[in-house]
Amino acid sequence: MKSKQFAAISLMLLHAAGSWAQESPYPKWQFNGYGTLGLVHSNENQADFVADIFDPEGAGHSSYLSPEVDSRLGLQLNAEVTSDLSLFGQIIVEQNYDGSYKPELEWANIRYDITRHLSARLGRMVLPTFLVSEYRNVGYALPWIRPPLEVYRLLPVSSADALSLSYRFRTGDFNHSLQALYGQRNLDVPGADDNQVKARDLATLSYMLERGAFTFLTSYSASELSVDVFDPLFDGFRQFGPAGEKIAARFAVDNESSRLLSVGAQYDPGDWFVMGELASSTSRSVLGDNHGMYVTAGYRIGDVTPYLTLAKVDVDSDSSDPGLPLAGLPPALAGIARELNAGLNDLLGSMAAQQSVSAGARWDFATNFTLKLQLDHMDLEQGSAGFLIDRQPGFEAGGSVLLYSASIDFVF
Amino acid sequence: MSTISQRLSLLGCALVLSLACKPVCAELVIVVARDNPLTRLDRAELADIYLGRLSRFPDGGRAVPIDQREGAAARDEFYSDYLGQSPAQIKAHWSKLIFTGRGQPPRSLPNGPAMVEFVAGNPEAIGYVDSQHINSDVRIVSID
Repeated sequence: MKSKQFAAISLMLLHAAGSWAQESPYPKWQFNGYGTLGLVHSNENQADFVADIFDPEGAGHSSYLSPEVDSRLGLQLNAEVTSDLSLFGQIIVEQNYDGSYKPELEWANIRYDITRHLSARLGRMVLPTFLVSEYRNVGYALPWIRPPLEVYRLLPVSSADALSLSYRFRTGDFNHSLQALYGQRNLDVPGADDNQVKARDLATLSYMLERGAFTFLTSYSASELSVDVFDPLFDGFRQFGPAGEKIAARFAVDNESSRLLSVGAQYDPGDWFVMGELASSTSRSVLGDNHGMYVTAGYRIGDVTPYLTLAKVDVDSDSSDPGLPLAGLPPALAGIARELNAGLNDLLGSMAAQQSVSAGARWDFATNFTLKLQLDHMDLEQGSAGFLIDRQPGFEAGGSVLLYSASIDFVF
Repeated sequence: MSTISQRLSLLGCALVLSLACKPVCAELVIVVARDNPLTRLDRAELADIYLGRLSRFPDGGRAVPIDQREGAAARDEFYSDYLGQSPAQIKAHWSKLIFTGRGQPPRSLPNGPAMVEFVAGNPEAIGYVDSQHINSDVRIVSID
């Protein structure tokens, strides 16, 4: 008797739940996550290789085998409040600027579909600068272990607290997507307390074209950039009167206009793929003008996809500066001036200029999992430190570096 | 009263039918509800609907793609035959959209009969199913 009542009530509840789900499908909640477990070994033990420009340590000097370079966990919650309105939040747990693993907000925005073609987003979002920018942390969705730094490092600030408008439309089999974004971003960086990189008046315009297996993307970003970590150096120059003021005005990164233009394309008919990007960044500051490019091709053999990448980054602006004239300075001041000049030239000369060849393979060994192995040979230009940080006295710029990387990526 | 020629032609028909049945009877077909006016669809449009790039049928009606569960033979066959993509490639494609807040993959159903039942009751839905499961409530869409 009791069990019959229970069954009847259960049926009623089930029925109620079913009809509720049909009449009112909103809000729809969706929880997802992704992650990478990676290990990197570098044959250069006098400096650290890092994937993120703001990482404090990586492979080489600090670790023989570094899990910090590529490992991360991302968790996200998506809520469709109505058919037009949704909320989207994503946190990432990975090595932070201060060496901690405090979760950081990667995405947190509200989206409203104004029409079938036009939608607006407000909140934290990743800039649509490069082909894989917005999902560069989702290893499972990438062909490589990490996007080629020669291009992806050209943009120091990759996300913003912003308002963005997207316009999507279709002509024949061509899907067009135009996005305009305006906002700002402050990032904490390694070094002294409250050191930050600030991007103000950050604007990005991007256009993506997709047709079947073919994707094309071009984007332009501009911002007023400030990098606090350089301030002491240029404050030093300013002590030296007009000559020093002039150097500070030329090289300081204090609300300095910084621009980036990129073009990329991908063709992926299924059994093989080829993709490449080209980007150019300009800043009339110590950050200088740089351009980078890469091309990657891969061939799928069952569950295994070997790939090869050629990449290159170059500095287009001067890699040295005469600095303060030392003639006529009292010896004590000349010593300080010499140190300031050395500091400036160290920054200008060590900028990443390198070519690299990367070979790797992706193996989709289980549903939702992939294993990747990658070998990077980085050939640093004379005087350049490439993407190496924490350089020790024994480090010699301009050599070559071999990186051995392995990762397991997953999604759920 | 059956002549030899009639018998032969009957036999011929049966042969043709049995030969035709090989590909047709065990073929994967694209289906919509009987009330859906859609009769044909471009291969490119079908791919874009299943990749989340296109949300309308050519006549302007809303298009809701439906999947069979991960690992189902029909699902792997569909993505391989019509989109040229492996299950891992499709998973990677949706990872790009999911983790940038741009979309969620199609709803998935356990098997062919469930697909037919769901599509039959939802004029916006489009699905794929082994032709042995279809009934008069759904219509086969020809793919150009």
